[in-house]
Amino acid sequence: MSVTYIDAIREAQETLLRDDPRVFLYGQDIASFGGAFKATKGLADAFPGRVFDSPISEDAMIGLAVGAAIEGMRPIIEMQFADFSSIAFNQIVNQAATHYYRTGMPIPITVRLPSGGTPGSGPFHSQSMEGIYAQYPGLVVVTPATVSDAYHMLIESVKLDDPVIFCEHKFLYRWLKSKSINEEALPIGKARIARPGKHASVITYSAMVHEAVRAADRLQADGWEIEVVDLRSVKPIDLDTVLASVARTGRMLAVGEAFPWGGVCAEIVAKVCEEGFHLLDAPPQRLNARDTPVPYHPKLWAAHRPTPESICDALRKLLSF
Amino acid sequence: MPTVPILMPQLGESIAEATVIRLGVSPGDAVRTDQEIIEVETNKAVMGVTTLCDGIVSEIKAIEGVSYSVGSLLGLLEVTEEEVARTGVDTLESLEQQKAASNRSTPQAEENLHFAVDGDSYEENPSIIPSVKGLPVPTGVMGAHYISPRMRARMDDMGLREADISAIVGTGIGGRVTVEDLERFLDYLEAWPSTAASPMRMAVADAMRRSWTRPLATVGLPILLDRVLDHRRQQDPKPGLTLYLLRAFALALTEQPMTAGYLIGEKVVHPRAFDIGVAVQVEDGVVVPTVRKVDQKSLKELISEYDDLVDRARRRRLTEEDSKGGIATVTNFGTFGLTTGTPIPLPNETLILGIGAGKKTPVWSEQVETFIPATQAELLLTFDHRVVDGGGAGVLLKRVAELMQHPENL
Repeated sequence: MSVTYIDAIREAQETLLRDDPRVFLYGQDIASFGGAFKATKGLADAFPGRVFDSPISEDAMIGLAVGAAIEGMRPIIEMQFADFSSIAFNQIVNQAATHYYRTGMPIPITVRLPSGGTPGSGPFHSQSMEGIYAQYPGLVVVTPATVSDAYHMLIESVKLDDPVIFCEHKFLYRWLKSKSINEEALPIGKARIARPGKHASVITYSAMVHEAVRAADRLQADGWEIEVVDLRSVKPIDLDTVLASVARTGRMLAVGEAFPWGGVCAEIVAKVCEEGFHLLDAPPQRLNARDTPVPYHPKLWAAHRPTPESICDALRKLLSF
Repeated sequence: MPTVPILMPQLGESIAEATVIRLGVSPGDAVRTDQEIIEVETNKAVMGVTTLCDGIVSEIKAIEGVSYSVGSLLGLLEVTEEEVARTGVDTLESLEQQKAASNRSTPQAEENLHFAVDGDSYEENPSIIPSVKGLPVPTGVMGAHYISPRMRARMDDMGLREADISAIVGTGIGGRVTVEDLERFLDYLEAWPSTAASPMRMAVADAMRRSWTRPLATVGLPILLDRVLDHRRQQDPKPGLTLYLLRAFALALTEQPMTAGYLIGEKVVHPRAFDIGVAVQVEDGVVVPTVRKVDQKSLKELISEYDDLVDRARRRRLTEEDSKGGIATVTNFGTFGLTTGTPIPLPNETLILGIGAGKKTPVWSEQVETFIPATQAELLLTFDHRVVDGGGAGVLLKRVAELMQHPENL
């Protein structure tokens, strides 16, 4: 019996509902329907009165959550797709993110963003928004890449007093399986070495961790040992682990599925240049999706996002410098 | 009458712009075909902008001293219809028509576009596409031509300089030396016997390394030392041969001080005083004490000052002040029995004058029309070729040789 990534998210919510009376779930079609991705399947029956359907208004959903948090609750909001969270942007960045700084009262809400691309999802159901939210002070932005992290980081997100943007990758929902959920996990803010190596570091997060590991496996045939760092949370970024990795390898490639302009990868490159310039033996590189909306056709989509092939190409270029 | 533009021509393969240095005509002047009317200078040569046809200058737009890109409008000519027909030059009117025609040929049919493309755009400057792109850096340079930050940090850690790693064969892009290459090289060196370099060795190494960043050239001339040696025999106390040379060098430099100028950016810094250094070999290195105002003191007056400096130099008792402010250096490597060499100036100096060992040589004498034995030595001058050329160096060296033939005047 194996656990998928989405099973872990469902189980985490179940655990939270069971252990913390302040927790409730709110989102579109999440109650009797169990959510667009079945992340809340059965929870409405198991926890009557604590799993609610919302109107189709992301703005109202976050507004309600902020109000409930002020009243002492710990709401988990499911956005049907990360892409639609832009409708709630004002509530998230202007209300939730700033509230503690304005009033001294924290807003412990967790916003679940089903993120990233899957074949044939097109421009409105594929976006990666972590970079946008990470820009705003007051928000914690997490991007779990493993089944265990999906479970433990969701639980920790709800326990944090800060508003957390929980970016769960849709591609990993059923694709990623694990025999079981680990008993323990690193805390939010700590990165993980997903694969050790010595010739170059790939700094990445979310689904791209798996693509990077596949790329690294391929390059191993040529004698290259590539280290893959899974950031786990993009805000805060665990710069110590990143710099330690770059210190080992001297070469760095940041890989992200989000659009290339600015964002998490740009931030990693900037921070490594600022604090680890003396560690670099080659110009730090980054690889993102293309600078166009996410295409619908699966073949175009595959050419749009970083893949093991394009990561290999970028690494070969980096290694030949 | 039609108007013909005077445009900055394409002056060479990689030339994208040129500076107007002289305007040869003014409005109202009549000009002939192929007349050179504007002198322009590129970083390679001075060239003339010529007219394409006969006409009258109606306007000059170019300003002397200003740089214009290729294709820029420098002025206008009034030209007769017959002349336009004869030479087939483009007039302003025909150029306008061509431009309008090319604009018309771009499709404007898509009127339903949300954002219409404006075909009637105005191009302020003609666009220049230089035929040579990228930085003027030679490609395929092997070795440590790019030092990465990590490499720099590792080298600083080890006290290494670029010259130290020049022996490493790079495996990076374009033969770049990577950190791995450096580590392999250091591992390889581990197997060799080594000792720590003395501070004196390090100081000389540093000065020479810094000096070697410049294009240095050496010229030489044989001189006869007999007169100097005769003169020296009659003196008490006896001035050293190096001191004669020091004095002759200083006097020659007063006649062309620019030769000892020092190039900093776009400036040549001139000597303030004729203070000249003397290279003194000491244990595991060379020190260069400075003899002050050599041009203003006689040979006799210089003896004690010179002897004191050399003595203290050998005993390593020079103060920092003793070695400061020289404009050039004299080195006598003849004392090691060497006859020739290519001395290297200090990094903050442009010139170094060297002299080899004198040896008895048959020298043809016009006076007695036979070979007579003479003591001949090579006089060598190394100079920073950015500041001085072979000609200037030759004049200076010949003057020193001349002065050495009249030691009584030194």
